[in-house]
Amino acid sequence: METLFGITGKDFVIAAYDTKAVASITMMKIGEDKSRNLNDHSVMLYSGEPGDGVHFAEYIERNVKLNGIRHGLEMSPKAVASFARRELADSLRSRKPYSVNLLIAGYDVKKDTPALYWMDHLASSAEVPFAAHGYGAYYCLSMMDRYHRPDITEEEGIKLLKMCINELRTRMILNMPDFVAKVVTKEGIRVVQL
Amino acid sequence: MSRRYDSRTTIFSPEGRLYQVEYAMEAISHASTALGILSKEGVVIAAEKKVASKLLDQTTGGEKVYIINDNMICGVAGITSDANILIDYVQRSAQQYLYTFNEDMPCEQLVQKLCDLKQGYTQYGGLRPFGVSFIYAGWDEHYGFQLYHSDPSGNYSGWKATCIGANTAAAQGILRQEYKDEGLTLQEAKNLAIKVLSKTMDTTALGPDKLEFATLEIKDGRVIRRIFSTNEIEALLKENDLLSKTDEAKQ
Amino acid sequence: MDALVSKYAHSSASPLDSSEGFSQAGFDAAQQFALPMFDIPMVSNPIDFLRAHTDPSAENRIRIQHGTTTLAFKFQGGIVVAVDSRASGGSYIASQTVKKVIEINPYLLGTMAGGAADCQYWERELGRRCRLYELRNKERISVAAASKILSNMVYDYKGMGLSMGTMITGWDKTGPALYYVDSDGSRLKGERFSVGSGSTFAYGVLDTGYDFDMSVDDAIALGKRSIYHACHRDAYSGGSVNVFHVKESGWEFKGNFDFDKLHWDYQAQPKGQIV
Repeated sequence: METLFGITGKDFVIAAYDTKAVASITMMKIGEDKSRNLNDHSVMLYSGEPGDGVHFAEYIERNVKLNGIRHGLEMSPKAVASFARRELADSLRSRKPYSVNLLIAGYDVKKDTPALYWMDHLASSAEVPFAAHGYGAYYCLSMMDRYHRPDITEEEGIKLLKMCINELRTRMILNMPDFVAKVVTKEGIRVVQL
Repeated sequence: MSRRYDSRTTIFSPEGRLYQVEYAMEAISHASTALGILSKEGVVIAAEKKVASKLLDQTTGGEKVYIINDNMICGVAGITSDANILIDYVQRSAQQYLYTFNEDMPCEQLVQKLCDLKQGYTQYGGLRPFGVSFIYAGWDEHYGFQLYHSDPSGNYSGWKATCIGANTAAAQGILRQEYKDEGLTLQEAKNLAIKVLSKTMDTTALGPDKLEFATLEIKDGRVIRRIFSTNEIEALLKENDLLSKTDEAKQ
Repeated sequence: MDALVSKYAHSSASPLDSSEGFSQAGFDAAQQFALPMFDIPMVSNPIDFLRAHTDPSAENRIRIQHGTTTLAFKFQGGIVVAVDSRASGGSYIASQTVKKVIEINPYLLGTMAGGAADCQYWERELGRRCRLYELRNKERISVAAASKILSNMVYDYKGMGLSMGTMITGWDKTGPALYYVDSDGSRLKGERFSVGSGSTFAYGVLDTGYDFDMSVDDAIALGKRSIYHACHRDAYSGGSVNVFHVKESGWEFKGNFDFDKLHWDYQAQPKGQIV
């Protein structure tokens, strides 16, 4: 089961994904990238129907990048999330809807605040301080409720993430291998191996 | 010579000119004046209102200054019916953007959107260009207060102070002289706008019924658009000692 | 352009308006990259429609051939591709001599699992596109790009009943490359894949016997043995084993090995060492 996490702090957002690629009972791959950088300060994580995630995320990625090139302005995480929600909502009413769950993590450079958007495959979207998708959410949301503060440092954020992953490794019936985190700050996006 | 080239907008003349576009601009230079001034604290748009007859009912609001988005207003010079089409288009575009992105459209993008449409009408066969120039005042989080001008060809540019319509040369002369390099306060900008109009308008008697006036400023992070009522314009004229004798007598 | 403009733009009956003349010129380069268009059954759900015609209880049912073991893995000397050769429709063995490695061109291979027709058709279409790419760009297409083309093509028909699980392998500027592409739209870059009903059995032998630094002969032997063990346990796999080796100079066919013969050869050998 795929798991995505997101945690905001004072001046950063961490977004993490498990790197499993599964086909029925077989683990096809460990080390699959389930994220796309939409621009210098926004990243999208996806899970759900195979194929749909990559297709939808790359579609949004390209449109966001085109918008940036055309107007010379970087879209804010809010604009990116609203756009993605609209596209997903429109697709939902089409003959073949995308079936993807999303986390959009970004840093709003103009407002100088981190932003995290949780979105499910029915296109309901919410800005949240922390978030999770998949069965992992059933274990970890309570932990985030318990330990998260809006002013945590990046170090604490990573630590909290590791606590969550540890809990999954002890309680989930399915083997939870590597997670990869992407940290978004004012300076941009960087990858952290967990 | 030009007869062969000016009947269709899509065709260049041998001198490389697009006559219909130039004629449209010419039409605007006879229209009543509108001007815009950028200040540190906000933007001013002022326009001359031509009153054709005293029998004209003026209670239904102005025809020179329009709101085009929560963060933008504009002044118009040219054919009002053409302007109506464009304003309707640009208002829709702004709302479409809000619908998709859940935030206000950046000013320049909105100007560009409208100019794309204007440009189309200088190229597609059988169409007449829009006989309108605009002055846009706006604020966005990217570039703060902004002032733009666009003409019938679809060209647009950003300004500190500019003017469209009749007597632009005279008005721009005054603006160039009076605009301080370090920028103006909003009050200074308002006074300058009134002064320029008082000097360039053809009528000798300046009155609140001959002007339209609007400002755009920001308070507590929110854009405040203010389109002045007749009373407010009157007060402004009085402040600047420009109220005509007859108007004063009426009081 | 705005709808308003287009409305007026076409209302002029100008004789100079030759926009239609251009498109009638005949050749349209973009057409060659357009997706092949099929008539899709005029039903709301093509999958249900297909199921109605392939269900065992249906009259005159169509049996789509399924059941396969295919594998491919990267190692020091390139890539080994090994597959079985059985085609079955339900419990019926339709053929024991199917070519499940599709030679897309001299340096690209595709494997076949799922619907044979789907794999053959789309990989041939892929070959056509790769050749067009080569003619236009004067260089070979990368395996990454080729596999993405295939993935995008089948993704467009997602939910309409396509069934295919394939591995695209080859050698390009970046060296040996291996991708798994299926009709769900998944496309994974990897070191080691096995696809088909017998894949679990093949994985067991392949994963335990694998070493990146193994010799070419050992790698070929491992591929062959993995498919053999899968054929032995999986009723839907069998026939013979086809082995290919992908090298810098392109792929090379390493032989066809009859399953029965392999069985007695391997029986005569001692069991593998437990490390």
